[in-house]
Amino acid sequence: MSALAISGRPALSRQLARLPGWTVLAVWTAAVLLPLYILVVSCFKTTAEIYDNRLGLPRSWALDNFVNAWTRANLGHNFLNSLIVTGAAVVLTIVVSAMAAYPLSRYRLGWNAVMLGLFLSGIMLPIRLASVELFTLMRNLGLLDSLTGLILVYSAIRIPFAVFIFANFMRVLPSELDEAARMDGAGEVRILFQIILPMVKPAVSIVAIFTAIAVWNDFFFPLIFIFDDRYKTVPLAISVFVGQFRTDWGLVFASLAISMAPILIMYCLLARQIREGVGAGGGMK
Amino acid sequence: MTTLRRTSSLKRTQQRMAVLFILPALAVYALFVLYPLAMSLWGSFFVWKGLRMVEFAGLSNFSRLFVFPSGARLYGALWHNTAWFFGIMAFQNGIGLLFAWLLFLRDKGTAFFQSVFFFPAVLSPVIVGALWRLLLAPGGVVEWALNGLGLHQGSLTVLGNSHTALGMLIAVDAWNWMGLPVLIYTAGLRQISGQIFEAAKLDGAGNARMLFSIALPLLMPALGTLTTLSFINTFNQFDIVYVMQGVQGNPSYSTDTLVTYFYRLAFGAEGAVGITDIGLALALGTMLFLILSLGTLMMLRFFDRRTVQL
Repeated sequence: MSALAISGRPALSRQLARLPGWTVLAVWTAAVLLPLYILVVSCFKTTAEIYDNRLGLPRSWALDNFVNAWTRANLGHNFLNSLIVTGAAVVLTIVVSAMAAYPLSRYRLGWNAVMLGLFLSGIMLPIRLASVELFTLMRNLGLLDSLTGLILVYSAIRIPFAVFIFANFMRVLPSELDEAARMDGAGEVRILFQIILPMVKPAVSIVAIFTAIAVWNDFFFPLIFIFDDRYKTVPLAISVFVGQFRTDWGLVFASLAISMAPILIMYCLLARQIREGVGAGGGMK
Repeated sequence: MTTLRRTSSLKRTQQRMAVLFILPALAVYALFVLYPLAMSLWGSFFVWKGLRMVEFAGLSNFSRLFVFPSGARLYGALWHNTAWFFGIMAFQNGIGLLFAWLLFLRDKGTAFFQSVFFFPAVLSPVIVGALWRLLLAPGGVVEWALNGLGLHQGSLTVLGNSHTALGMLIAVDAWNWMGLPVLIYTAGLRQISGQIFEAAKLDGAGNARMLFSIALPLLMPALGTLTTLSFINTFNQFDIVYVMQGVQGNPSYSTDTLVTYFYRLAFGAEGAVGITDIGLALALGTMLFLILSLGTLMMLRFFDRRTVQL
């Protein structure tokens, strides 16, 4: 990058020449941060205050809206559902995908390529279009209105991407690793979980991060599979709020803030891994 | 001889272990992805009564899709998805290139700007749509700001106006995903050797010239990835429309997309009475599947051919 730094000119005029560029970047930064700032400060305002005082800080940092959203609008319950579904789908996806990727990337089976291709084709498949048949299947299996159903569907959708990532990381590990362990009498299950998997921690974190984001954010499958309020996840509940509590703006803003909090925390902790993961593969969504 | 027997016994163990290892993932994936998808494609050639397949129908579902009363919805949605795609290509992937280039020319702040720009992309489209619906609503903060700046007077109705609603949703989607092109282009630019830019600068090329004549041709793989991803995302567009405009694609179907139309046909909100038409829904699904797979393959080939090797 520094290859492009213009070396001859004095510092001041160099900085001046860059001013328009910095302005463009600053404008978009504002375009991203201002709506989020409004979201945050509005959480602490009453509806009347939101109208009176658009951009300023709230009169008091009262938590009424959060409390109301959590209890009266029952978002706390949806939050728990989302946590369970996301956590279970991430664990299930990682375990079964790592298991599948291990022989596909490290054994000589003769049918590795075909099987890998079958998994990889799923990365691009538009699964939403299968939702009618998926609905019938879930009904026949008794999985409508259940978190288990959501967990299985999300894992199924995320498996192709996870197998792809795990296989890519496992393929490049030296073959002496498992051979030596096999000589020592270790079983294949132990080789996978105690030797190979710890070596591909970056793959585990990529899969965990992107599966968690995708599952936490998804709205389509709860919309078609969940009817009972007890099993609704956060995005589904939010979509209902926006219509229902239209006059109570503070409450809606607070529920938006609550629902993005886990992702925000994760993003602050893992921004670098996320940036690198996306830049390298573009493998989101 | 013993080594031979040992390798062949190892081979047999590996074949057996491989099956056991692959089975759980394959079972879940096949049952919840491959099977329903195959059944949906197959079912689009049948007459349906409710959720029951009745008899073989040939292509009649497909021909019904293109004529009254479905034709108007289909062509409308097809047009909206196409406009959405080109809008995203111009606003998101075009302006994103400018941002990535500006970041590339600077040694400071890249990580900060990338993190800020990408942040909306980790949020649910439901949250993004709900947030912008509140901000853009009549009486919302955008109306207040535009009125205050003297750029607009009275109530802001961009989401309720059928001429502006689609454009607004495309802009919200671009806001949502702007960080993606910035990250992918920056990663692409970093792979280009600095010597190429040095040489161009010695030849007197300016920044704009370097971007369009040197960087852009070498960014073809990045542009290909982005075009394909944008194409797939656009033609699957559902969440933002649902949250901001309802499943009918209000006002008066002006933001209707292929997936919202599919949803109404399949799960019953099409027409005032909300009757489902599974045959029509599956035919639309099959058509969309073909559009997506053929489109994706063509794009991958197109960009593959234009990739410059150095």
